[in-house]
Amino acid sequence: MKLNIKKTALAVAGALTLGAASIGSALADGVTIDEIVGDQASVDDILTYGLGPRGQRYSPLDTLNKDNIQNLFPVWSFSFGGEKQRGQESQPIIKDGVMYVTGSYSRIWAVDIATGEELWQYDARLPEGILPCCDVINRGAAILGDKVFFGTLDAKLVALDAKTGKVIWRKKIADYQAGYSYTAAPLIVPTEAHGPLLVTGNSGGEFGIVGQVDARNPETGELVWTRPVIEGHMGTLNGEESTMTGNANETWPGDMWKNGGGATWLGGTYDPDTKLVFFGTGNPAPWNSYLRPGDNKWSASRIAINPEDGEIQWGFQTTPHDGWDYDGVNEFISFDMEKDGNTIKAGATADRNGFFYVLDRTNGDFISGTPFVQNITWAKGIDENGRPIWDPENRPGDPAESADGKKGKAIFAIPSFLGGKNWMPMAYSQDTKLFYIPSNEWGMDIWNEPVTYKKGAAYLGAGFTIKPIFDDYIGSLKAMDPATGEVKWEYRNKAPLWGGVLTTAGGLVFTGTPEGYLKAFDAETGEELWKFQTGTGIVSSPVTWEQDGEQWVAITTGWGGAVPLWGGEVAKFVSYLNQGGSVWAFKIPKQLAMK
Amino acid sequence: MNQHTATSHPKSIACAQNTGMQKPGTQNYRELPQRIGIGTPVNPQQFGYGLQALGRLLWMFVVSSLLLCGQSIARPYDDVIESGVLTIFVYEDYAPYSWVEGGELKGIDVEVGRAFAAELGVEADFLVRGADENIDDDLRVNIWKGDLIHRKAADVMLHVPVDREVDARNNLAVIMAPYFLEQMAVVADSSVLPELDTFGRFLYQPIAVEVDTAGDFFLSNAFRGQLHNSIRRGRTFGDAVDLYNNGEAVALMGSRAQAEWVAFQSDKESKVHQPPMPGIVRRSWPIGIAIKHDSRDLGYALGDVITELINSGKLAEITKKYGVEYIVPENL
Repeated sequence: MKLNIKKTALAVAGALTLGAASIGSALADGVTIDEIVGDQASVDDILTYGLGPRGQRYSPLDTLNKDNIQNLFPVWSFSFGGEKQRGQESQPIIKDGVMYVTGSYSRIWAVDIATGEELWQYDARLPEGILPCCDVINRGAAILGDKVFFGTLDAKLVALDAKTGKVIWRKKIADYQAGYSYTAAPLIVPTEAHGPLLVTGNSGGEFGIVGQVDARNPETGELVWTRPVIEGHMGTLNGEESTMTGNANETWPGDMWKNGGGATWLGGTYDPDTKLVFFGTGNPAPWNSYLRPGDNKWSASRIAINPEDGEIQWGFQTTPHDGWDYDGVNEFISFDMEKDGNTIKAGATADRNGFFYVLDRTNGDFISGTPFVQNITWAKGIDENGRPIWDPENRPGDPAESADGKKGKAIFAIPSFLGGKNWMPMAYSQDTKLFYIPSNEWGMDIWNEPVTYKKGAAYLGAGFTIKPIFDDYIGSLKAMDPATGEVKWEYRNKAPLWGGVLTTAGGLVFTGTPEGYLKAFDAETGEELWKFQTGTGIVSSPVTWEQDGEQWVAITTGWGGAVPLWGGEVAKFVSYLNQGGSVWAFKIPKQLAMK
Repeated sequence: MNQHTATSHPKSIACAQNTGMQKPGTQNYRELPQRIGIGTPVNPQQFGYGLQALGRLLWMFVVSSLLLCGQSIARPYDDVIESGVLTIFVYEDYAPYSWVEGGELKGIDVEVGRAFAAELGVEADFLVRGADENIDDDLRVNIWKGDLIHRKAADVMLHVPVDREVDARNNLAVIMAPYFLEQMAVVADSSVLPELDTFGRFLYQPIAVEVDTAGDFFLSNAFRGQLHNSIRRGRTFGDAVDLYNNGEAVALMGSRAQAEWVAFQSDKESKVHQPPMPGIVRRSWPIGIAIKHDSRDLGYALGDVITELINSGKLAEITKKYGVEYIVPENL
């Protein structure tokens, strides 16, 4: 183990112009906040979830390109082992020749990239009685200084020694017994007031939870500020109450805001330019929208938070008064948009509800909202203020209307509650100026169920089934021009897409499929240029970096996530897929990279 | 001991009677070892080996008595007896059916579960978990599939609504043996609301309820949402009871057993009411047990225990301890 670390440290020592004596301290000093902020430009490491804090998933590397992609070969595959597999949604972190990769059931490994050998492994001991709603996945780690951070299914945040995998601190994010969990990659942001902060959201399937964003001191894990996302709740700063989020009853009836939902379960992004943190929020509770008249802020929204004090700078609600379970958690990616000769400080998000929104990231002002999936039924469009033009016919019926015990009114809503796009992050190319959106073409039947029971007591619920819209495909990778809303090209995939996207200055777009392929496309045309079968479904996000003068690509593999749990009629598209659990590393050898 | 063996399986009782064995009563079911599954690890010296041996003996006896009658038994019942442990699911934070107080697991369902174990001559191992979104999820997680992390499920789940449609759409679980009649009710502070003729009273008076429960949905929907500003929602049932006890609400809505239990333990002069509930889904429904689809023989054995508990008046004695009147569920 020691040998491996030395070897990898040596490999980069030259590049960092560190003396031989400082090999140990190269890791001890570790990652600086400036390196994190500048992660996108540095090609020899990946220090953030999203290849840069903006989450653009764009790499300036062009060694690997359209002309030589056929020379991209696997170097090693590392198995997560154990009996525990299920969905692997993790994006690796790369630093000094070491890969830090998380896996299902709250596990993390450090792998020597040169050899594919394990340096250390950490398994969180999960208590009995945790019941994660969706799957036992984890989306990745964060790194700062000599520590690696990740969150566990029992809603704890763990800081590990990057060299040894030993626990430095472990803090409770929320109470797993109250239904909270944690699966997202933590975010590290710079502040003037507190130095670097470790920022996390929360997740939970239980009723009664309230979405929140927390910032901690990465050295100690102590809370610096908290920001609940539902109106009426009080935030904190330095252990004292700070300000209330909105006003208690403005968009919620009675005391419903107290249990309003809005879990911030997918984590956030950071824009070094505006110095804002962006988080998405989940759907409101309870599910039945007739019980909670009003917009129900800030559920199903994007919010911008000032990391200095945890104050909300702006909010934009993608689905006010949600009735379809359209979580608003999808990532908000900052980018500079050229339009009519002007450069706009914009941000974009592809929502569960099927619309692609472009906002002014300085103030949240609405710029445009265009469909990125076909045949959307829940809304007829987005008006000039960014609000949906609802189709009342396609809001799920009020269960109270079917109190006669008969199956109530059924509606068919597009997209399904798994979304035009789910958690899987899209990518933005600084070269083509296009967003590459992993989307799915599916809808859902929702009907009022005559009677169901909770805790042994009868109430009127709702039933739903997800249905494909087209016979031959569900998954659809689209290249969208954010300035015009035009779809430039589309790649169709039989199974629903559930993995993230990567784009490079080499003119490539990478994504994985549940059928097990890692695929590369021409960023301009969408032509499929390369594929590799990994042996199990891919539901994670690829990365690329440079090591020893060669360009590498890596992806975690292992079929799972929400689709096999909730898939409904989608099952026939995915039921044959096998589970797995590993990370694959590819590179283009130097001698084959010549143009 | 032999007497217990005889009561542990319905078919064995029939046989035992045929072979001239005395049909035992249930009066001594408490004499068998009992333990609470949570937080009390088994001491093998104390229970494990002894019980295993006991279990084996019992099992041999059952098998031999059944062989005499020419009947066979399916594996799950065997497995329970052989392992010496019956794993019983009860909901957490669910007074007066199942909750922890002072480190002790107690309640009506817990006592029914203990009676199951005692009658089978095995230890009771309680699996205590919260409710998922609906009964279908609970049956999946607690009976036929287990949870995602530890893959643990129970042999029997208590407090399952006996509803033909629920049974039909959950074909990997079997719902049977109704033992309780669930109803909806309100408990009110008599000094403020001596009588309660209509929920219209709660246009002006605050009422507590556990969030996201049948009572919450009813109140939220009642009179087209006009009670919204009067509803005080507790994160748990215990929180809702606190709202009632500390005067933030003058009434509380829940099941009849919950309402009666609140009236029973509250310092307030309280009375339970069942005013008309326009739009309520069900005013009353039976509660039974669920077992896995391939464990029907275990279900029959436990159903027999329930029959004994009801017929002997034991179940009424149990509910009375919690201030709850026992009503025999209709046989469906």
